[in-house]
Amino acid sequence: MNSINQLLFFRFIILSLSQFIIFNNFLIFGNTVNIYLIFIIVFPLNFNKSLAYIITFIYGFVIDFFSNSFGIITFSLLISILIKPYILKFAFGNFDVNKVRKTSEYISGTSLYQQISYLILMFFIHQLILNSVEIFSLQNFDVIFNKTLISSIISIIFSYFLLLIFFRKNA
Amino acid sequence: MRNFVDFIIKNINSIIFLILISISISQIFSRNYYHGSKINLFSNSLLNSINEIKTELFEYFDLVKINQKLVIENSFLKNNYNNEYDYDSIITENNYRYIPSKVISNSIKFSKNFITIDKGSFHNIEIDDGIITNRGVIGVINNVSDRFATGISILNSQLKINAVLKKSQHFGSLYWTVINHQIMELEDIPKSANISIGDTIISGGMSSIFPRNIPIGVISDFKLPESTNYYEISVKLFEDFGSLRNVYVVKNDFRGEFNDLKNLNE
Repeated sequence: MNSINQLLFFRFIILSLSQFIIFNNFLIFGNTVNIYLIFIIVFPLNFNKSLAYIITFIYGFVIDFFSNSFGIITFSLLISILIKPYILKFAFGNFDVNKVRKTSEYISGTSLYQQISYLILMFFIHQLILNSVEIFSLQNFDVIFNKTLISSIISIIFSYFLLLIFFRKNA
Repeated sequence: MRNFVDFIIKNINSIIFLILISISISQIFSRNYYHGSKINLFSNSLLNSINEIKTELFEYFDLVKINQKLVIENSFLKNNYNNEYDYDSIITENNYRYIPSKVISNSIKFSKNFITIDKGSFHNIEIDDGIITNRGVIGVINNVSDRFATGISILNSQLKINAVLKKSQHFGSLYWTVINHQIMELEDIPKSANISIGDTIISGGMSSIFPRNIPIGVISDFKLPESTNYYEISVKLFEDFGSLRNVYVVKNDFRGEFNDLKNLNE
């Protein structure tokens, strides 16, 4: 348990710092790269749910604070962690939550397509919620959709390589 | 109680999630100006619709009173038609049109009071149209949406309107002193006007917003301060602003022309 807590703490610090020091400062096609969602993607599976929500809230609050988007990222991160189990089931098939702790244990032995589809679903849904709340008008649905598509694609590319390099062993 | 505690323990995850998500939603709407204004707009239109329904409901119970008022208004019109007004084609003020409407919300307790009515730009109402009843001047339209309009009440310390002594035709400006919702102050009436308590004050018709000859109130008190040549007059209003229901929006068809001409001189 202790090692899991330490792991979470380091991820919290490193991911939030790298988001607002590095990735918030450059735009690709007018969109920022949102790698902070990696925290949710590799969040331990067999974890106290209430605690997970509270940690996510604090994490979202910190990123919101440094991105000047009060509450919007927190809201979409909370929704993301709520639907994460369902997306996992959808992408990798049925599993017993109590037997696995780390995401790496679970996804070892799964195909690349499954992993990629998990990433795509998580990022696309997260960005869709984020942009819908940010733009907040149904008349501009085409803008929402365009932004979601572009920022999902660039975030997925960056996140996939980051996951490959840093989180392979102890995701 | 035990069941309640059991319920909370059982659903603690969902409850914490709901609390956190409502905190983030409240942050979104309170800290982001754009989202705040959107939700404001939505809640205002909802509130106005609810108020309209409420007004319609209460109006039904007030039908007797409204009927009595209408009878009085009718008799007043008939009397004036027979006695005073000579409907000559030159004298008739046919550039004013009246749109009947209902008051949805109204206040008298602030220093700047506003009125909301149930007619808007769909009914040809524009900014700067006047609001009157047969017993007095009520205010001036300042904002118009599709179905509603708001007006500055004359019970608003920032508004001054033009008024005339019926007896001597001396004119001055009428403003509110915030103290009592039935008393207004009339200034700029010169010493030479021979006034007494009970004299009638009517609208002056010099601003192109209101027509002339709308009754406003009677003089309830006046004094002539030393070293000035102007009276300080208290006017008791005919209209009770606490029970406003039916009003008329008055439009001046020639206002544009009138204002253009006036601007030429300035």
